[in-house]
Amino acid sequence: MNAMIKLFVAVVALTVALNVFAAADLEVNTPGVSAIKQSMQARHAQLAAHYGSGAVGLTSDGLIALRDAGAVPLAQRQAVNALVAAENNDRNALYAEISNANGHPEWQAEIRSTFAQRWVQRAQPGWWVQSGGAWKQK
Amino acid sequence: MYKIARYLLGPAFILFGAMLPLALPEAGELSLRVVDTVAPDFTARGITLILPEDGSADLRIAELNMQQRSLRNVSIRCASFTLSTASAGCHGGNLAQLPGMILEFDYRFGTGSWQVSAQLHNVAAKQLATLLPTAMPLPTQGELSGTLRINGDASGVSALDADVQIADAGFSDASGLHAAEKLRGTIKLSAARKVALWTWQGNIAWQSGELFWQPLYLRGGHQVSASGSFDGALLKVEQAKVDLPEAGHVQFAALWDMKQSALAECTAHGSNLGLEKLFADYAKPFLEKGALADSSLYGHADVDWQYRDGATQSLHLTLRDAGIADMDRRFALLGVNSEIDWQADAARTANIAFAGGTLLGVPLGSGQWAVQMRGMEFSVAQGVLPVLDGQLELRDFKLHREEVAWYWQFAASLSRISMEQFSQAAGWPKMLGTLAGSIPKVSYDGHEINVDGVLLFNVFDGTVAATQLKLADPFGRAPRLSGNLNMRELDLDLLTRTFSFGNMQGRIDVDVNNLELQDWQPARFDARLSSSAGKYPRKISQKAVQNISALGGAGAAAAIQRSYMRFFENFGYDRIGWSCALRNSVCAMGGVDNGNGGAYAIVKGGGIPAITVMGYNRTVSWSELITRLKRVTQNNVQAVVK
Repeated sequence: MNAMIKLFVAVVALTVALNVFAAADLEVNTPGVSAIKQSMQARHAQLAAHYGSGAVGLTSDGLIALRDAGAVPLAQRQAVNALVAAENNDRNALYAEISNANGHPEWQAEIRSTFAQRWVQRAQPGWWVQSGGAWKQK
Repeated sequence: MYKIARYLLGPAFILFGAMLPLALPEAGELSLRVVDTVAPDFTARGITLILPEDGSADLRIAELNMQQRSLRNVSIRCASFTLSTASAGCHGGNLAQLPGMILEFDYRFGTGSWQVSAQLHNVAAKQLATLLPTAMPLPTQGELSGTLRINGDASGVSALDADVQIADAGFSDASGLHAAEKLRGTIKLSAARKVALWTWQGNIAWQSGELFWQPLYLRGGHQVSASGSFDGALLKVEQAKVDLPEAGHVQFAALWDMKQSALAECTAHGSNLGLEKLFADYAKPFLEKGALADSSLYGHADVDWQYRDGATQSLHLTLRDAGIADMDRRFALLGVNSEIDWQADAARTANIAFAGGTLLGVPLGSGQWAVQMRGMEFSVAQGVLPVLDGQLELRDFKLHREEVAWYWQFAASLSRISMEQFSQAAGWPKMLGTLAGSIPKVSYDGHEINVDGVLLFNVFDGTVAATQLKLADPFGRAPRLSGNLNMRELDLDLLTRTFSFGNMQGRIDVDVNNLELQDWQPARFDARLSSSAGKYPRKISQKAVQNISALGGAGAAAAIQRSYMRFFENFGYDRIGWSCALRNSVCAMGGVDNGNGGAYAIVKGGGIPAITVMGYNRTVSWSELITRLKRVTQNNVQAVVK
């Protein structure tokens, strides 16, 4: 009986939590968000080839990482490093900006993990994604 | 180098120290089993020395562990092995794991001195990978040839000589961030120890190949020769010469503190260095993204640099036709000549002459500035920067560094610059009039650029005053500008001609208060446009009426075309008024007055023939309004009635 009550309370708490979070508008548009999105879109053309070659993969925390530097010629390795760093800066800023625009800076972690799932879903077949700490090819 | 030498030497030390004849000779062959040897970073188990009658020897080690590396069945075969009461020696030795290498070693029992040497003949570099610590980038390809010699005694290694040619070698660490391909060159190193002090000299001639050592990417053509000493704590480079391809030669002497992993002292000198290559290859990779990281340097420089006690003590810089320009040529300063003698603890003046440049596409002329320097404080009492047919006069420019941030401030005045030339150079619509103004004080505190007082410009025969201007995060990704703009008595004739809006005559005041731009896009403001007070001709053309109406949506413009108004070219008006409060990308509009119900007057008629233009929409999305404005000013709206 006690277990039933606990389960019930847990379900109610979870539902409330999800409902609160469901209120987050991930498509909120502020000049900050649109500047970040524009910058990310401009960079995507350069990154796409490296997602395809497996040099760069999508991490489980909503960022990207250089997973196989060997797939990039030496002369371009620093440029790819810089692309990855700039993209991660933008992604971190995007999560912060969206949670701030929603008036709930404390939602940043959830927003990040929602985006992480979204990036992975949208990844093209053949791209590398991180799951449970290991890299897998989609 | 010292550490690697110790691993290679390990077997030699221990072998002769712990030999025990445990096995019985059989068929003219002496077999010795040596006790397992355990040292702090070295263990060897199952050691056997077999001495056949022909004078050769076989040393076998079943398991050799060093630096987290485990080797099994190591076998060294000596073509000739000599053993006497005085010495033991191996000549013509082969290591099964390293074909192409001939080993010699010699050990004197009386003095404890020993020597190991190796001749390399196209030894595959990849095979060395098994001998090297896993933490370092490991060879993946290429061949090594040359000689290695190491001498020592009971107290350890006393001398080291290496002369190795490298052919098509490559290496990489696991992350790929320290890697090289097709390296070709020679390495010469000799070092000798007296008590605790090593003296050394070396030369690296790197002919070709490429190297990526994050964040540096370099190609062959480099040469380094250096000599110095090492006492276990300080690495002293007494004389070093580095040849940097296309940049020049740099000589330096330095003291490196091994314990602190820090530079203790350095003096460097370079003559006529090519700044373009020097900056692009050796400095830019270390810069974070920003204005400087997107820039190129030009010209040549002589450099004398002295570093001591954790800081630069002096820097003597002679610039010859030097220059800096950002990637998009938004900013450039070229033909810079100067002799700069900077001292950390003394005041100096540098005369900096420049031939010209550009700022946002606007050409800048030549000038000469006297820069006062006192440590990390720089100032220019007065400097003139020619801009087109006028000039920017800078006063009380001050720049100083606190902690890691640079602070600066200046005052300036802009003398009459032709707006026509200025707008063309900046890529704006052709504007008439002159640009002149004063800038009371602009300051930057490491985070924000603030303008104190009123920034005043004369344009369109009126005035523009900017107050409370503040630019936050100016060099960051999303700069935020805030402030108020108050324009008085702008000439509508000049303004409408400039923006091809359809002619209007009169004067207007424009206020844009509480302006906030994020990443140069309007995020909020309270704008109000209204006819200036006073007497002046007030006329509005048919086309301007249509355009104003078109801003309110297509229907209003069509209504005008159908009306009797189309018979007149120009109309009189009494007042013009329009306001927009921008919040959340939506502009809430109003007219001359608050209007009646939903409608409001934008142009209130007066005189003959008079026209009144009404607005009916109270709100419009900012992006829609901008689209309409662009359509109108790009002349896409045809004046149907002529």
